[in-house]
Amino acid sequence: MTSTGQSMSSPDAFSESILSCENITKSFLGVNALNGATFDVPKNKITALIGPNGAGKTTLVNILSGAMKSDSGTTHLGSVDVTNLESYKIARMGLMRTFQLSRELGGLTVLENLLVAPKVQAGESLFNIFLRPRLLQREERQNIERATEILATYGLYELRDNRARELSGGQKKLLEISRGVMAAPTVFLLDEPMAGVNPALIDRIAGYILDMKRQGMTVLMIEHNLNVVEKICDFVIVLAEGKTLATGRLSELRANPEVVQAYLGEVISAGTTN
Amino acid sequence: MSAFWYYVFTLVFFLFDYFILAMGLNIQYGETGILNFAYIGFVAIGAYMTGVAGMPNAGTSGQHYILGLNLPFPINLIIGGLSASALAFLVALITLRRLRTDYLAMVLISLSLVLYDISNNFIPLFNGADGLYNVPEPFASALKLTTNSFVPFFAGVAGVVALILWFFMSRITRSPLGRTLRAIRDDPTVASALGKGVFRYQLTSMLVGSFYAGVGGGLLIQFGGSFNPTAWLPGETFVIFAVIIVGGVGNNVGMLVGALVVETLLIHLPAFLPAIPGHPGLIEYIDTMVIGVVLMIMLWFRPQGIVPERVRRSKFLLPDFAPSGGGAVIAPTGPAIPTEEAAGAGPPFFIEEKDV
Repeated sequence: MTSTGQSMSSPDAFSESILSCENITKSFLGVNALNGATFDVPKNKITALIGPNGAGKTTLVNILSGAMKSDSGTTHLGSVDVTNLESYKIARMGLMRTFQLSRELGGLTVLENLLVAPKVQAGESLFNIFLRPRLLQREERQNIERATEILATYGLYELRDNRARELSGGQKKLLEISRGVMAAPTVFLLDEPMAGVNPALIDRIAGYILDMKRQGMTVLMIEHNLNVVEKICDFVIVLAEGKTLATGRLSELRANPEVVQAYLGEVISAGTTN
Repeated sequence: MSAFWYYVFTLVFFLFDYFILAMGLNIQYGETGILNFAYIGFVAIGAYMTGVAGMPNAGTSGQHYILGLNLPFPINLIIGGLSASALAFLVALITLRRLRTDYLAMVLISLSLVLYDISNNFIPLFNGADGLYNVPEPFASALKLTTNSFVPFFAGVAGVVALILWFFMSRITRSPLGRTLRAIRDDPTVASALGKGVFRYQLTSMLVGSFYAGVGGGLLIQFGGSFNPTAWLPGETFVIFAVIIVGGVGNNVGMLVGALVVETLLIHLPAFLPAIPGHPGLIEYIDTMVIGVVLMIMLWFRPQGIVPERVRRSKFLLPDFAPSGGGAVIAPTGPAIPTEEAAGAGPPFFIEEKDV
């Protein structure tokens, strides 16, 4: 759909695009956070969105998920124009997201955090609560079964009855990711899923992300850990100063002097590639 | 009936009535996080509308008010509840889409003041500052109830209504709808990102909570036989907030405990104490101070209230549910270690245990 001026490869080389944005701009009090970001995210692949701090990555995820409105530009989920739609409508179309700082539903238990996630539930209607109790019970049973399976997979089953606010930082990361998986999204946006977690957990989370891909999801993740990006991401989008600087495999991007200058060189010199 | 029992049943009535009012505010604030500082306004609308739906045409009563439908109890009470919900619908349409937390609270407290001024000054509506009086006592003529016997009778009616409304509220708060409301309370942005139309659920909460406010107000006017603006000063909202904070935000049983402690023991019981000689009204002032002190003590030492919000454990959610494998045997399995094919070409990258 789009062309990124200096891209070395397009998602067409992998598969069709499922999420795309074109010329997205966003400014805050005159400061341009996004300045024409344009890219396609290939379907059923893991795509990394990388770039220096302040490049506009989180702003872009906010716009793609509907949490923030862009000043101009368009976003598409599949063939549907979702530009500036409300976030819950985009979520119902199959796009889930996590947040840079984990945002658990603290007053709910770990299990309840997952049970909230199915997008449309019969039990959320007053009519059904009072007039179709059996439907509710059946639905609740199915949801609890699925939620417990996911919690077991993510190592949170034993914590199912704890309030989410009682979890550690790493556990909150896992909870947020597992909550998104519970919603069975087609596209999952992960905002720095490895940030602030220990190396062993990075290993596990990377495995979970690969599992998502096996299950047919498309993943777009903001990530600074280039070791992880290199190993699990099929496609990389580099954002700098609010614009798409380049796209392609990380190995290709390492040869791009502009990318090295804008981001990779900075990361390498800071010694955070591993 | 002795004066003692008259007082006791009066206290019982206020216990049940404020239980209903607290449940309504609890679903809005305790479950959904809507800081409804205009709550007493919805109580007042319910009271007035119950009154004018049950009273005869204004021409025969010497008062000025709308409707005068002469409808029997509990139809007029339901009309009172629905009227409060209708007002909530309008208010929610205007405010909830654009305003959150403190800004919403400021607008709502302003609304409360506006409603108060309108009812106080616009006489054709609800008889202005004089308010409604001579409101018919339900079943009084049919059951030949005297002033004395009406009090215990209507305390019982309020108890039945409270029980019915508690049943409905429990079903709502235990359902997936209640869970979604609490998710919105905890973080509306996350709830929206999970596909929940926050406005729709907030609107539902406002409608249900305001219906409870209207019914609670309707019972008040039927019990006392009159209702005027001095009965619902905008500050009264904070008494109901005190009920739910002391009782336990987010817990329906806590609402009953809060109503007992704040409304019955701290507000109405002292009103029946003999005045301190030479200091008429002093007890009421002390009473107000005591409520403030109790509120501060609760917020400082036990912010979760006397009966805290229940942790809805998995057994509570579905009592007979046991996950495949018997529950406890389901252990964390961790991720499937990616194969080389799945991970793409290249050497394994996963960090070894010794590097941790």
